[in-house]
Amino acid sequence: MDELIFRRTIYAEPNTTDPDIIQAAKDDPAKQAFWVEVKAMDAQLAQAMNIPVPENFADKLILRQGMDEFSQKRQKRPWYIALAASIAMVVGISYMTLFAGNNGLANDVYAHANHEYMKKEIAMSGQHVSQYAINQKMATFNGVLSGEIGEVLSANYCYLGTTKSLHMIIKGKTGFVNLFVVEDNNSKELKEDFSTDVLVGTSFLLQSAKIIIVGDDREQVSRLQKVAQSAFRF
Amino acid sequence: MFSRNKNQHSSVSIDMMEKQTRYEALVKAFHADLFRYAMWLIKDKVIAEDVVQETFLRAWKSLDSLKDEAAAKSWLITILRRENARRFERKQFDLVDIDDVAVADPHIFGDVALEHRELRRIMSNLSEEYREPLMMQILMGFSGDEIAEQLNLNKNTVMTRLFRARNQIKEALLGEHPKGEQVNG
Repeated sequence: MDELIFRRTIYAEPNTTDPDIIQAAKDDPAKQAFWVEVKAMDAQLAQAMNIPVPENFADKLILRQGMDEFSQKRQKRPWYIALAASIAMVVGISYMTLFAGNNGLANDVYAHANHEYMKKEIAMSGQHVSQYAINQKMATFNGVLSGEIGEVLSANYCYLGTTKSLHMIIKGKTGFVNLFVVEDNNSKELKEDFSTDVLVGTSFLLQSAKIIIVGDDREQVSRLQKVAQSAFRF
Repeated sequence: MFSRNKNQHSSVSIDMMEKQTRYEALVKAFHADLFRYAMWLIKDKVIAEDVVQETFLRAWKSLDSLKDEAAAKSWLITILRRENARRFERKQFDLVDIDDVAVADPHIFGDVALEHRELRRIMSNLSEEYREPLMMQILMGFSGDEIAEQLNLNKNTVMTRLFRARNQIKEALLGEHPKGEQVNG
């Protein structure tokens, strides 16, 4: 067999079962050696392609689908439940606006710092979020994280009402601390310090962005505030 | 009436459970291959993860259209490639850049032994038309015919690209320039 055809065939398909190729290799030790060499290179390539898969990736895929299914099911509820829910929501919102004062953004922040919500976010994210992954998302806010802020368990875009934010959940000494990045002009109404019975929050301006920190432990919140002031740049 | 509803409900639940089991089996069997494929295609871990997630979400939604489990791998790759293409529909201006982005740092693929680092760098520098059929062959174990079908090319073209891909890798490993007549044809 022609040398060139032999080489081309082997290069295109090292595991070929073409009988002519097999015969040609049997007849010519040089061809056989070439074939062995290409197979060895392919084995190296296969190993090099074998990059590590993110931890818990399969679980995350299964969970993600479960949540999608859940939200689809919710949409399939009968109309009267939807109507009842809408009425309840309107009543709720009116009540909040009338009696609780205009506390919009802070309420949205509390909702995202809710324990159940955080558990879901953390489960979706897997375990540890790398600084690289965070910075991919920080780009939206023209910001960079360049220092240590502790172990970030999840980093996702969240809407605080209509305001887009990057929500990070950070492992604290006990429990979790939440950090939100929002654009300043969408968050002017938010007070510097705010709290409920269980949660304490603080917000501060860092160049062009606002950072909001919320948790159930005042000391951990203020510690993260100090760290965040030097770790982020916008 | 109530009992009929109940029966319907429970048969729906059983269908759902079967679907769920089938889906989980697919995820477990193919998530690693799909992630690796996406990484080599996209060269960005965050985007690769997103594309694989979208792929499985689509797969879940149209799981009923997968009749033959043996075809699952090709089916998933078809979805993944379509999802990846949709990325460019959304962000058309990126389309021009993708092949120009040379990956200088092979660490994005994770820490590796030294010899693999070099191979990864070489592979990520291959142009997509050579890299993709090679991934399909080595990573996914597709035959020439399957690759031809995925890429919508004829088999001869696929074989030529596979030949050239390995040839370029070999030359890059040797640090040589192409040797005219030996690589042509």
